[in-house]
Amino acid sequence: LISSAAIDRVLMAALAVFLLSVPWLVPALINGFWVSVIAEILIWSLLAASVNLLFGYVGLLSFGQALYFGFGMYGVAIGISDFGLSFWPAFALGIAAAVAMAVATGIFAVRLTWHYFAIITVVFSLIFYFLALTNKWLTGGDDGINFTLPATFSIGASKWSFAEPAFQYFFILATVTLCLWLMHRLVNSPLGRALLAIRSNEVRASLIGLNVYLLRLIAFVLAGFLAGVAGALFAFFGRYASATYMFYHVSGEAVVWAIVGGAGTLFGPLVGTTIFIVLREIVSTQWEHHALIVGAVAILVVIFAPKGVVGLWREWLTRLGERRATASVEARWRTEP
Amino acid sequence: MDKFLLLGMNGLIWGLIIALIALGLAIIFGLLDVINLAHGDFFMVGTVLAWATLQWTGSFWLGFLIVPLIGFILGALIQRVVIQPIHNAAALSIVATFGLSLILQESVRMTFGPTPRRILPPIQGTVPLFGIDYELYRIFAAAVAIVSLVGFFLFLHRTRLGTWIRAVRHDRDTAVAMGVPAHRVYVFTFALGFALAALGGVVAAPITTVDFRGGVDILPFCFMAVIIGGLGNLPGTAAAAILLSFLEGIIQSVADPTVARIASLVLMSAVLLLRPQGLFKGLTR
Repeated sequence: LISSAAIDRVLMAALAVFLLSVPWLVPALINGFWVSVIAEILIWSLLAASVNLLFGYVGLLSFGQALYFGFGMYGVAIGISDFGLSFWPAFALGIAAAVAMAVATGIFAVRLTWHYFAIITVVFSLIFYFLALTNKWLTGGDDGINFTLPATFSIGASKWSFAEPAFQYFFILATVTLCLWLMHRLVNSPLGRALLAIRSNEVRASLIGLNVYLLRLIAFVLAGFLAGVAGALFAFFGRYASATYMFYHVSGEAVVWAIVGGAGTLFGPLVGTTIFIVLREIVSTQWEHHALIVGAVAILVVIFAPKGVVGLWREWLTRLGERRATASVEARWRTEP
Repeated sequence: MDKFLLLGMNGLIWGLIIALIALGLAIIFGLLDVINLAHGDFFMVGTVLAWATLQWTGSFWLGFLIVPLIGFILGALIQRVVIQPIHNAAALSIVATFGLSLILQESVRMTFGPTPRRILPPIQGTVPLFGIDYELYRIFAAAVAIVSLVGFFLFLHRTRLGTWIRAVRHDRDTAVAMGVPAHRVYVFTFALGFALAALGGVVAAPITTVDFRGGVDILPFCFMAVIIGGLGNLPGTAAAAILLSFLEGIIQSVADPTVARIASLVLMSAVLLLRPQGLFKGLTR
């Protein structure tokens, strides 16, 4: 008999094997285009993970994560096109810009909770979205900034860059995996426990000596970091940055992906993002009005799986385990004289 | 000076229309705890239905009657099919109404088409007002909005249904114990919210463009009005909508519209941080 933990382990291993073999397996099975779709899914799932870190583990619903995503993007694009930076300094600039923005806005935002928090995050992101639209000299506005891709590693004459699809894929996979692993470690650390304590009861958490404001700020900045890494990766992936990615619709999509996948679970954002982007890629080639299906799926999931797809899966596994337990008890009963 | 007056007036009248839409958002939020991301699209559907009414019947005026009615029916249907099953859970309502927003926008794009259209004002001509020639239709629009706002508050305070709405919002369990059919009040409130947004759409259709993306800009503005007015404070919401839009109009006479929008967003952040209970707390009850 297989336990539910074993089922999870098998799934994890299968996922790891699949993800590692994507650049060879996917072109053989479908076509090379899907390698970049999967890379894109990985990047966006990091943005959904940043929503999840705040909502699933701290109970703060941010509707403005696109702001930090946008700063990550622009940090890279401006770093390369204006300052002539190479890959790693531009990457660092993107992440630093996002983190600095998260600190600056977080100081104010985490003073508020629930509805007020959701609104102020969207307000902050709208302010910078409009600023990015008007300051075309810096951001290129709607048209954005295109830049030529610098090499990631150059050792002697040999260069590795995102121009090579397999390298691009593995670089993104490694970065996203590292971020998700760090998040996993964080959630299971004393800091993570403290965050969960705040989510379940703010007053009690403060009474046992937790600094609620500071802990929320830390979570907010970490979420900004995740979104910033996603934005920086997306800038390298698309070779450009644009103000449209800072609009509240982008933040909203990330919220939907996180909740549909399963808020408060490590893999929920990845599952949610995968469902919606795969759906978009498949249906949009067949039918112009694919948004209708995306909308319907979002509604159906919240009605029939309010804890998200991963939540549904967990429930199913638990029920399976319980049924097995009763079955084995009954079996023992029967063997007794 | 003329430009200042013109844009100030435009802002004021636009604010009256926004107040109608924002009140719809506020009652849905206050009663059902639903963060309605599709509310801007309810307005957009109103503008499109106004256009359709004009096309099919040849009369714009009929739209004032038909469109809010269709909005009401659509709202009731949506509440039963989409909102009721999620048991008023705010986080889930965000996802559900986001899906709804996509469906409404895409349905309109499919049927009405992706190109924005204009409706000619059914009343042509201008009137002299404070030394400028002002469009007659905008004054008419302001009158319709004011009458509707007054009507809404009278309904809420002077009718049994309105009292039920206030009762359920105040204390659901007691209201149910007193025999108020809470579920029907939920359906009615959501439908009324849609109808108000749709009515706003009809009034605004000749002033703005009819476009499937028409709700995208309206939505954050309505949320701002609800928050600055104070969550649950309906007169505050209406006042905030008018005030914000008027301020934006005035700023627009000296600066870019985007700068005006940034200014109202900054104002809103300040209100949220300094007076999270809304600008008007303490002034009403």
